[in-house]
Amino acid sequence: MRTLSFVLIFLVVLSACDSGKKPSIEEITSEEEADSTASETIIDPELIAAILQQIPSPLEISVLLQRSGTKYDGSLLNNPDNTSKYNSNYQKAINLGIYGTDLGYTNIYEQNQDGLEFMSAISTLAEGLSIGQFFELATIGRLATNSKNLDSLLLITTQNFNNINAHLQEQDRSNLSVLLLVGGWLEALHVTCQVSAKDPSNQELIDVIGEQKIILEQLELLLSFYSTKNPNMKDLHESFLRLKTAYDEIEITIIPGEPVSKVVDGVLIIENTDRSEVKITQENVDNITSIVEEIRTKAIN
Amino acid sequence: MRKFLYVIGFFAATLLINDAQAQCNADTFTDACIPKLSSGFNFLKSYKIDGAGGSKTKVEYSYVFTKGTQYMINICATGDNTDGIVVSLFDSKRNQVATSKVEGQFISAIAYPCNATGIYYITYTFDNSTQFCGGSALGFKR
Repeated sequence: MRTLSFVLIFLVVLSACDSGKKPSIEEITSEEEADSTASETIIDPELIAAILQQIPSPLEISVLLQRSGTKYDGSLLNNPDNTSKYNSNYQKAINLGIYGTDLGYTNIYEQNQDGLEFMSAISTLAEGLSIGQFFELATIGRLATNSKNLDSLLLITTQNFNNINAHLQEQDRSNLSVLLLVGGWLEALHVTCQVSAKDPSNQELIDVIGEQKIILEQLELLLSFYSTKNPNMKDLHESFLRLKTAYDEIEITIIPGEPVSKVVDGVLIIENTDRSEVKITQENVDNITSIVEEIRTKAIN
Repeated sequence: MRKFLYVIGFFAATLLINDAQAQCNADTFTDACIPKLSSGFNFLKSYKIDGAGGSKTKVEYSYVFTKGTQYMINICATGDNTDGIVVSLFDSKRNQVATSKVEGQFISAIAYPCNATGIYYITYTFDNSTQFCGGSALGFKR
């Protein structure tokens, strides 16, 4: 009987170690909310990782801008010489994200000289955060000297940032990973808002600005987990809450359709008739632009 | 006491055997998948598909897809085929929009032109897989 009890206890412990079923984001979120009354919030690394991986690459917006015929404007980007201003890990991480977006933007427009300056700034900040091993400046510099290497350059920089995010999460430094993504997203939105301000008739850009509501909700949630742990994060979270309020007026509706597919050259190609519509006014765009500029100015100075 | 030690030893051995079977070096497959993205697609993410030797029935990731962008998701596994790994795409309301198993055939890549911005779920399942191990890459183009 005693042996049987031991076996049962052993099995219970084993099953508790790995149930094989990962909770969904919704399940974990509701648990986190339920725990928010506790004196110290416990941040589930699985939840953080699940949200972080959803955030789209700022490179997508740079490609959109380039494909829509928008001209390169280096004056919209952060000054690569600003690195000496960034002393805290908070400043280094958020500006590493900002420079990451700037580098992607210069790469897409094949502005190699500017790209090298951003690469140097990124390397400096990465060293300051003890993640300098992810940037081989010599390799990237060599790729950047020839426009034929654009695909390799984009690939290697995307991989570097993906590796940094994975490394920071493994090292239990997800707060820095969050700041990296927040900075990258903020910069992409800043550039989009500024380009849109110059060309208010470009509905595609206005829609992109409106669609950021989906990503903002995820980022605001991430920041909320860290807002009690660091005054800078608290301040940033409060700014994001104001931005979220500005986005509350924007409606995104999905009109469902039926997907149709066909196989071409071994690739399954989906023809989807779903579509989304964004209800956003110029006043909304102006309000969002104003708040984004305020947050970004604070972050880069 | 001896009986107890035997039981512990038995379970420890079972765990070790399962662990050995479950070894999955997904990085090898993700590395192989990135260059297989079709021409014109920019790499975004690589996903590890580790079914832990069959003890996991699915591996899921999510990503915000943007309207007007075409995405490609491919699968790499042991050999030239997908080793029974199936990728399915679900929209934010969990409606399935695509699956790579078509009429009994395992397709190794899906191209999805997105018309509705939102969170999409990329789910990998195993259908008569032998290794329960693979990798995948996500790319985009406009």
